[in-house]
Amino acid sequence: MKPQSALVICPGRGTYNRQELGYLAKNHQKQQLMLSEFDARREALGQPSLTELDSAATYSTSRLTRGDNASSLIFACAYADFLSINREKFDLVGVAGNSMGWYIALACAGALDTHRGFEVVNTMGTLMQNALIGGQLLYPYVDENWVEIPDKRDQLMALTHRIPDLYLSIHLGGMIVFAGTEKALKTCEQALEPIQDRFPMRLHNHAAFHSPLQQPISAIAKQQLPPHLFRQPTLPLIDGRGHVWQPQASNQADLWDYTLGQQVVTPFDFLASVRSSLREFAPDNIIVLGPGQTLGGAIAQCLIAEKWQGIRSRQDFIDRQAEQPFLLSMGIDEQRAIVI
Amino acid sequence: MDRADIVHENFLRRVAEQDLGFKTSDLSLAEAGLTNEQLVSLFYSQALSRQLDRKSRKMQAKGQGFYTIGSSGHEGSAAIASAFRPGDMAFLHYRDAAFQIARAAQVPGQTPLWDMLLSFSTAISDPISGGRHKVLGSKALTIPPQTSTIASHLPKAVGTAYSVGMAKRIKPEHQALADDAIVLCGFGDASLNHASSQAAFNTTCWNAFQGIPLPLVFICEDNGIGISVKTPVGWVEATMSNRPGLEYFKCNGLDIIDTYATAKKVADWVRRTRQPAFLHMSCVRLYGHAGPDVQTSYLSNEHIENAEAHDPLLYSAKILIESAGLSASEVISIYNRIGDRVERAAEQIIKLPRLQTAEQVMASIVPPKRRCEPVLPASKEQRQSTFGTADTQALDKPQHMAKMINFALTDLMMDHKEVVLAGEDVGRKGGVYGVTQHLQKRFGVSRVSDTLLDEQSILGLAIGMAHNGFVPIAEIQFLAYLHNAEDQLRGEAATLPFFSNGQFCNPMVIRVAGLGYQRGFGGHFHNDNSLAVLRDIPGIVIACPSNGYDAVLMLRESIRLAREEQRVVVFVEPIALYMTRDLHQPDDSLWTHQYPIVGNQPALTLDSVGVRGDGKDLAIVSYANGFYLSAQAAKILLETHGIACRIIDSRWIAPLAETAIIEATADCKHVLIVDECRSTGSQSEALMTLFAEKTKQFPARLAAKDSFIATGPAYGVTMPSRDDIVNAALALVNSELLNSKQTQVEA
Repeated sequence: MKPQSALVICPGRGTYNRQELGYLAKNHQKQQLMLSEFDARREALGQPSLTELDSAATYSTSRLTRGDNASSLIFACAYADFLSINREKFDLVGVAGNSMGWYIALACAGALDTHRGFEVVNTMGTLMQNALIGGQLLYPYVDENWVEIPDKRDQLMALTHRIPDLYLSIHLGGMIVFAGTEKALKTCEQALEPIQDRFPMRLHNHAAFHSPLQQPISAIAKQQLPPHLFRQPTLPLIDGRGHVWQPQASNQADLWDYTLGQQVVTPFDFLASVRSSLREFAPDNIIVLGPGQTLGGAIAQCLIAEKWQGIRSRQDFIDRQAEQPFLLSMGIDEQRAIVI
Repeated sequence: MDRADIVHENFLRRVAEQDLGFKTSDLSLAEAGLTNEQLVSLFYSQALSRQLDRKSRKMQAKGQGFYTIGSSGHEGSAAIASAFRPGDMAFLHYRDAAFQIARAAQVPGQTPLWDMLLSFSTAISDPISGGRHKVLGSKALTIPPQTSTIASHLPKAVGTAYSVGMAKRIKPEHQALADDAIVLCGFGDASLNHASSQAAFNTTCWNAFQGIPLPLVFICEDNGIGISVKTPVGWVEATMSNRPGLEYFKCNGLDIIDTYATAKKVADWVRRTRQPAFLHMSCVRLYGHAGPDVQTSYLSNEHIENAEAHDPLLYSAKILIESAGLSASEVISIYNRIGDRVERAAEQIIKLPRLQTAEQVMASIVPPKRRCEPVLPASKEQRQSTFGTADTQALDKPQHMAKMINFALTDLMMDHKEVVLAGEDVGRKGGVYGVTQHLQKRFGVSRVSDTLLDEQSILGLAIGMAHNGFVPIAEIQFLAYLHNAEDQLRGEAATLPFFSNGQFCNPMVIRVAGLGYQRGFGGHFHNDNSLAVLRDIPGIVIACPSNGYDAVLMLRESIRLAREEQRVVVFVEPIALYMTRDLHQPDDSLWTHQYPIVGNQPALTLDSVGVRGDGKDLAIVSYANGFYLSAQAAKILLETHGIACRIIDSRWIAPLAETAIIEATADCKHVLIVDECRSTGSQSEALMTLFAEKTKQFPARLAAKDSFIATGPAYGVTMPSRDDIVNAALALVNSELLNSKQTQVEA
């Protein structure tokens, strides 16, 4: 049987939560060798091993959402998930990622080998945690049915012009992630009407990613992570601008510069990334790597924004998923079973 | 077997067998300024262009696509695109898909595969035309869409290039191009022979010869044939390689290394010198002119197979293998995987909705409005300084139309730095009729420029300037001179918002001196009395004032329409009324007016008409000279015949102010339409239709004969005169009286 074409999307921060505790142990016994190498590297750096974090008796938010822990943990889960995809069933046509997921995407697509991918993620997570400049705040511009509220996005964007040190951090399919200083985020929170019992939502232990506030991190990262770490991707990569980096046609220095420069200090447009992925690769499926399930909602909102295959609302998406799932989340056991 | 499939199979077989015995450039990649990755990236663009061509033919065969003129054989244009910047405005040849795809790779977030398929399918979501047409074009990639089939885009490319240097100095609010931008213009070897091409080359050389900056690259993609007619071997080089001021470059478009290296040399040279270049790219045409074109009916199999043997993708494959270290299977894999992407995306595209209604199709005929910064009128001191002592005094005295238009132009140019004036004799001489006198002194030679004597180039200049944020006022010296250039309005300026879904617009005002009744001068060539050539062009505004006061207000409104609503306005000035001062008798000065100060009067908007008198016996609907003569006739009709008239000046020929005309005539017993233009195709036909379709009135019509205009004493005999109007009015009113009396007798 001809394999289905599939686009892989890698998750970002905030996807390893209470429910995901033990994800590596549960799903990736076969990857013990790789995981033990990651553990050894972290121990050498004086960091708790991923095995230790993943096998903790209870979920500690303060510990497991720290950048220096969460980033590597998510990388390990996601990358191991990527390696678990049944390539006879799925022909992978491209890899994208959300925010920190971009680093994972680089590894999945072969632009960073396994260890360099880990190194980049661990370094960036540690640098971000050590500096912890500013924070992030999440707010939707779609209603509870995931249909866009007219003018809402523009109104939210206007806040970034009005409030000093507040920036657009990530453009998700139906939500805006703001980045800013503590003061800016507080002002922003006060300006936003509380809705859906959750928003505005501060993202714990997150820094002001993808904003000019990260300029110092970018500078240090470029010193610590040289361009030669990068190589030609073997799969197309779709970045946070919607730009496609093609195998054998990507300039490694440019890829390095984007990854540690522009990508760190300017907004990450996840919607543009998904849009380009859909339009340029028209995959039969999207596979979302684990851990977690939260990115599925953002991707579904992107599908709705694109009216992809006639999906125009949350209900359309639910119906489509029930009939023949387009989105396969490896963080959901039933869908994971289809993928591996 | 479809030739597209043959070419496809040949590619797969010959690459697999490495049957690639071509001679390619001796330049190394480094010498050409290319990296391995760039080379592969160019091949991605070429292969996507090719696979899209193949798919377009299959879609058309299934009724899913509607365009099959492809780019196969011309994929070398990808290398040209890569040598330039995405902000360098490109007016592309219709075989330049690979150019657009390669440029898309320079701008993050672009989706050329999807976008091209949308255009094949004419889906509403086609990002450039909104499903109206298959055109190459992209706002994000600085590629305005146009037809290019008859090379009518060359004159505006010259105009756009000219605008770059101007914009650097003047900085129009809506400047679109960087100060160091280059303008590119592609076309085929057959299109080189169009008059519009030759006009553009001549204008380019005329400017460059004088050292005027013109950062322009003509790209002639020479595949050796125009549909079925072969271009003489060597013709392009022979005719283009020795033009004064136009630097000639030649490259082998089959070879991306040679093409890139040459294009880069051209780009560097033009960006540095700001002088124009001609890039002659040889290539082949694969699969005939378009899908339905059976090339075997006019070409030998040997010719066809020879072209196919020189498929540029085969050349690229050889270069990738030899210079970039790819294996044959890697090359084939790239090609095939792109084909798979195209297939999958097409499956989605064909389900997307297409335009259904006339309203949808027509939605972008009228361009969208744009935001302009508010402008404060010039201060009194600034005005006095600009107008000078004599004209400042003249502003307070009644003046004829020519003088008042001159004043209006002065105020408009004072208030809006982006307004520029261009035309034959408009500068130093101040126009044939003095309408633009002093303007060059007031605003400088760059804002008031004398052009060469070529109407296509004048209109192309205006279109091009408008592409870069200017609001040009171009002058066509006489209405009869418009005809050899009218396609610049019809085929280019008017269609730009239509084909671009309102994303690209070329706002401008074209001033045209015209119409009849000039005593002692002219004949047909200076007194054309037909506006038919303009009236049927969708979307353009035609203004035609009858007096100086209206002319001022209508010109201000025209500039506002262009500046804020991005409209193309043709402002027809009746020559015979330029200097007319009197209405009924010598020295009565009834056709002179006090110049209206800026901001003191309500605008004469498109929905307005002029009304003179309040009589109810007869309404005369006219414009320009006809309105003037009707005003004369109205006095006689009242004083001699007791008929009280009302005269309606329709002012705007298009769009017709239908409601205002109907309302202004509703309570009149009779309606007479007076039209100085020819009976056939004239405005009076539209007015008669209006009254027939939307009122219960039965107007009479007095229009000019279907004749050209004579020189000498007979200059006016073919057009309505004052006495003709009186007689027509009497005939109309008396026929009703007669009917009324007959009715009484019978009763």
